[in-house]
Amino acid sequence: MAKRPVKVSITYCAECGYEPQTLELAGALMRTFGHDVSSIELIPWYEGSFEVSVGSELVHSMYRDGGFADADVVAEAVRRHLEVEA
Amino acid sequence: MATVTAERFEQGLTYEQYKEQMTRNRERLEANESALKLSPDELAPFQGLERPVRVIALAEDWCGDVIANLPVLGRLAAEAGKLDLRVFLRDQNLDIMDEYLNAGQYRSIPVFVFFDDNFQELGRFVERPKSVTAEIDSRRRELFRNNPDFGEPGQPIDQLPEDVRVRLMQAMAAMRADLAPFSNAEVVKALAAIVGQVR
Repeated sequence: MAKRPVKVSITYCAECGYEPQTLELAGALMRTFGHDVSSIELIPWYEGSFEVSVGSELVHSMYRDGGFADADVVAEAVRRHLEVEA
Repeated sequence: MATVTAERFEQGLTYEQYKEQMTRNRERLEANESALKLSPDELAPFQGLERPVRVIALAEDWCGDVIANLPVLGRLAAEAGKLDLRVFLRDQNLDIMDEYLNAGQYRSIPVFVFFDDNFQELGRFVERPKSVTAEIDSRRRELFRNNPDFGEPGQPIDQLPEDVRVRLMQAMAAMRADLAPFSNAEVVKALAAIVGQVR
């Protein structure tokens, strides 16, 4: 059965200069997953935020976890969701 | 040994030099600077200083609290003529930053440190007044209480439908603008309390 692609959302602080980290992560996901991601949503936000959700799962939050998301950790979450959605 | 000496002080950027080297948020900082209204009563403690007081500011151009609060210090320095201000980029001056950690742990900015003639610290201002933090929290809770479709404060934004998220973004921008006069007044009050100790 074909895997159902998953959505990834990246919420980043648009005032804080987080564009490079956001684009780097988005690029890594695009190169790794191709059509297995249904969309990668980039959401400019405030107050130092950097949050990554895969489907409805908050995989990384700077507030909660500190720092930026590790691309490998996000990729692993995407793979996990792909298995569940299949 | 204190890191801020007379020699180190002179290595700092003037406020104008700081603005010139900003790579982001300069328009917002200058808009805040222009919009700030300082009353004669607010300026008086600074104009009344017998001689100039040296102040350093630790700042970075991505920080919202710097964008909000450094212009207050910049305007006070310009209008009172009694504050000799130098700005240091936090990430290039971590030795200075680490002398003024928030709660002894955090490299919060902005930090404004006032010195006497011998570079002994007179007082410092860190990040934002507690009253402003409390007011932001209160208004944010009220915003979410009055708009149940915004969900819970702290809930991941990406789970909101886009139209709701846009309304929340607009509401937060409006809240920030509305809060500015109160925040500015509290910052001036905090800085006046520091210079009030100058003999």
